Amino acid sequence: MPRLADLLLLLVMLTSFVVLGTTRLSTCIRAVAFQGLLLGMLPLALYPNGELHTWGLAVGTMAVKAVILPRFLSWAIREAAVRREVEPRVGYALSLLLGVVAVAAAFAISTGLPLPERTREMLVPAALATVIIGLFVLITRSKALVQVVGYLMLENGVYLFGLTHVERVPFLVEAGVLLDVFVGVFIMGIVVFHINREFDSLDSARLTELTDR
Amino acid sequence: MSRSALVGLALLLGVAPLLSGIAARTKARLTGRRGAPLLQLYWDLARLRRKGVVYSRTTTWVFRLAPIVLVATAALAACLVPLDGRRALVSFSGDFVAFAYLLALGRFFLVLAALDTGSSFEGMGASREVTVAAFAEPALFLAFIALVLATGSLSLGGALGAPLTQAWPTAVPALAMVTASLFLVLLAEGSRVPVDDPATHLELTMIHEVMVLDHSGPDFALILYGGALKLALFGALLVGAVVPRAGLAPGLGLAVLVLGLLGVAVLVGIVESVTARLRLSRVPQFLTAASALAALAVILLLVR
Amino acid sequence: MALFFTGIAAIVLGGLARVALSPRPRLASGAFALLVGTGCLVAALPAVHVLAGGTVAAARVSAAVPGGDWVFGVDPLSAFFLLVVLGVGAASALYGVRYLAAQASHGPVGVSHLLMALEIAALALVVTARSGVPFLMAWEIMAVLAYFLVVFESQHAEVRRAGLIYLVGTHTGTLALIALFASWGQRAGALSFDALAAASPALPVGGALVFALGLAGFGFKAGLVPLHFWLPGAHGAAPSHVSALMSGVVIKMGIYGLLRLVSLAGPPPVWWGWLVLGLGLASGVLGVLWALAQHDLKRLLAYHSVENIGIILLGLGIGALGARYDAPLVAVLGFAGAVLHTLNHALFKSLLFLGAGAVLRATGTRLMDRLGGLARRMPITWATFLIGSIAIVGLPPLNGFVSEWVVYQSLLRSAGIAPARAAVFAVAGLALIGALALACFAKAGGAVFLGQPRTTLAQEGGEVERGLLAPMVALALACIVIGVAPVVAVTPALHVAAAIGGVARGSADQAAAAVGPALQWISLTAIALAALVGAGWWLHERLLRRRPRAWAETWGCGYAHPEPRMQYTAASFAAPLIVAYGRAAGVHVTREPGAFHTHPKDHVLDGIALPLWTRMRTWALAARPIQQGRLWMYLLYLLGALLALLLYLALRAG
Repeated sequence: MPRLADLLLLLVMLTSFVVLGTTRLSTCIRAVAFQGLLLGMLPLALYPNGELHTWGLAVGTMAVKAVILPRFLSWAIREAAVRREVEPRVGYALSLLLGVVAVAAAFAISTGLPLPERTREMLVPAALATVIIGLFVLITRSKALVQVVGYLMLENGVYLFGLTHVERVPFLVEAGVLLDVFVGVFIMGIVVFHINREFDSLDSARLTELTDR
Repeated sequence: MSRSALVGLALLLGVAPLLSGIAARTKARLTGRRGAPLLQLYWDLARLRRKGVVYSRTTTWVFRLAPIVLVATAALAACLVPLDGRRALVSFSGDFVAFAYLLALGRFFLVLAALDTGSSFEGMGASREVTVAAFAEPALFLAFIALVLATGSLSLGGALGAPLTQAWPTAVPALAMVTASLFLVLLAEGSRVPVDDPATHLELTMIHEVMVLDHSGPDFALILYGGALKLALFGALLVGAVVPRAGLAPGLGLAVLVLGLLGVAVLVGIVESVTARLRLSRVPQFLTAASALAALAVILLLVR
Repeated sequence: MALFFTGIAAIVLGGLARVALSPRPRLASGAFALLVGTGCLVAALPAVHVLAGGTVAAARVSAAVPGGDWVFGVDPLSAFFLLVVLGVGAASALYGVRYLAAQASHGPVGVSHLLMALEIAALALVVTARSGVPFLMAWEIMAVLAYFLVVFESQHAEVRRAGLIYLVGTHTGTLALIALFASWGQRAGALSFDALAAASPALPVGGALVFALGLAGFGFKAGLVPLHFWLPGAHGAAPSHVSALMSGVVIKMGIYGLLRLVSLAGPPPVWWGWLVLGLGLASGVLGVLWALAQHDLKRLLAYHSVENIGIILLGLGIGALGARYDAPLVAVLGFAGAVLHTLNHALFKSLLFLGAGAVLRATGTRLMDRLGGLARRMPITWATFLIGSIAIVGLPPLNGFVSEWVVYQSLLRSAGIAPARAAVFAVAGLALIGALALACFAKAGGAVFLGQPRTTLAQEGGEVERGLLAPMVALALACIVIGVAPVVAVTPALHVAAAIGGVARGSADQAAAAVGPALQWISLTAIALAALVGAGWWLHERLLRRRPRAWAETWGCGYAHPEPRMQYTAASFAAPLIVAYGRAAGVHVTREPGAFHTHPKDHVLDGIALPLWTRMRTWALAARPIQQGRLWMYLLYLLGALLALLLYLALRAG
């Protein structure tokens, strides 16, 4: 069912747009959770005569990306008493437009990339677009929690790239789960240190200046 | 010129005032009220038609001409839409530009009429109207481009006619996004929640309503009817895009159109009862989302 | 060509007569109007002949100066632009007769009329020159005369400054053009256009240098972003009929130059097509945004010229891409859209400038927030201004719609060219431009003509005299005719476009066949619209004939003492759009108690051009010591230069 895979990839891109366009933190988290769910379904759609390996990948991805990490994020919002707005540096409308430009660029670039032949038409552009939009969110959103969301999207993009090679390099994608562990640590940091905004300085001494508000 | 297209035009002109009634009724039912009669707008129109008029001393002929231009342009634009799903009364290459620009002409006169009164409130409404339009227009055109790319036809009559039937199976995601985008544009152009609120009672928060504060009697009836016709027009576009009816018998196609319009009205009512009105500064964001959706559809269609 | 030169001579003679007879102003004005009017008519005859399918033999003047013979001729492209020049030129010059008469105390009226006549002649020579030297000479005369026309009211510092910026801008452009002809002529060995065209295949890198220089040089004249910075000041400061000529015709010479370049050098490189398309989009969107932030009526109109140049460039760019990728239909439609919009813009923009002149004449101000309610006092001016507004916004049933529709056609059909299909996105850009232009003209028309007078200035104004109204009515009629019967303009435009694109003979007919039925439908729609509105009006009046028709104050939502000052101002009207789009255009809004202000800032002028200017001045001052003002030193420089050149030649030979 390649058609189904394309639809899923499209929805992945649309969820990225939701993150760009929404004003609410909770919507961001829900969107990225939904994206995780879609990513979990993708291996099944791409490799329908699925072996156990594919199924494992799907279930594992869904568990981590669609359930555990979003839960963790919502918990962090409550614990750190973060304000519920996104507070972007670049306006929402402009973000959306730049998102469209990113997608167009992704499609344009991916036709020129030296890739192995057997890659799905939309897989590479979707991966690229997700990576670019994730980076964009990291750059333009000053709130640490939203940056986590951006990082997750970035990582989702990398995961999509990995899917092109899932048969050749079987454990590449699984290795990516390690990145999720980093996300977890990231969120812990937010909760523990009550960090609301981005890290302006790498100087750990400054962390002592942060106090409860 | 086919008979069914003419009948379709008559149907659209006749059924247009019903839509806002249905939307209002849906909203009322969902919020646990009984709501106004479905035919309320018809009664309003009939009552206004019998009344005299009050003109502001500041106004000129522009004020009196605007309601007529509004209805005339909307009616002409209706001739460009293939209402029976097969062909439009008037169809030529690039006619969707004419469709959009005819409606824009109506808007231009309405805005001028508002400024003609010299009222600060109506000036405010006019200013907001053109702002909303400046964001809705690109979205509408992007949706048109997507339809053109999907069907290879440069006219509305073609793009919503037979070629669309073949296009749907090959381009489901793109056309679905176009449909979504068209619906968002419909909400904006039809002055509906979350862009505008037809039921608001505070002048400072209105867009369309506040522009027409000074119109009265038959003039106001024309404006109400023009607004209803515009909503019905976008509804017809939406129905045309979602349900390609070229394969159906003309009568059946028209029946589907009417049912579809009623469905759109119900959908509008549902949207109105589950969402709140957006802050005015958020409206551009809402319509940019519509543009982004349609632009994505265009990208998808360009790369296939 | 004899007819053409007779006409030009009559125009020049008219100008001279105006000066010679100036002791008797009435006679002088009569002679001027008669001679210029008939001159324009006579000179237009060859153009009509060519557009109807005939040919006119070129006139050749042997010249002893370098650059070869001087050739003048009329081909379809020249003919089309010649009609624009003469039509709008005549309207502006005739308007000027009465317009300047009231300002006799402000400046040398007779000389200004003479300059106007000469300017029209120079413009006519620019579009008919067939050789580099006369082209550049006419070009330069046109530019310098325009400067003198602009600074008519030179007692105002603002006018002098605008004129100076214009002069610098136009000469920078001319510099690029001289470089263009020099580099091209070197390859061709001669400067006649035929020789240049013959040498075009031999140009290095696909003519990259020629196309780049052409875009820069002609772009300055056309006023495309970012080379537009001289335009609003100059067009705002000039007397209104001069603004009409400059906005309507003079900047179009840039477009003519670009089209001529394409017709001589063949299909442009791909990057050039995309660049023109991109610049068109930028000019269109930024131009209209800047216009929205302007509350000086004439400056607003001037920024709209930038916008419309953008629309023209969209057509030109897509036409260039179509020509390059062997898609004759796209090429012809694109170029035809550009040519047609040039004509239409000339008509409605000069109409609007003349209308602004009438307002200025009646009230003495062009600040929109001091006006209001003029529709009652100046009904004919308002009617023509409204027609011009509808046309410039591109709405049916007028001519602006027709040309924008042709541009839309070409952009949409570009989807069929695989490498250029991304150009369909420009359709959305054009839609945005249209919607913003609608907002801007609702603002302009509303603030100036509708509502109540905001100051006493606007209360005292009355309708202007017939001599001013007649040219405006004529231009408005032209807008209506092209809108209702687009065939009359589109068919010649398609033939002109086919000649530019150098495409196969049949492609004009192919394009005509592609758009022919649509044009008939557009005519029909326009007529139906007029009929529907007319019938509606009649029914409306009939219905209300026996009803009580009460007149009251505007409903103030319960407020009992409305004042004219409470009306929405132009700044408030534009504020939401400026807030939303302003950052892109460098415009921002400030809010004070009681008023909104929009602050237009020209990034190119204030951020680049003026600092660069200051920098150049410091450099120039640094070079000052070599200017001692002593004759023997200059002779020494001469000797040095001569020796250096000789040495260079000797070394190169060796």
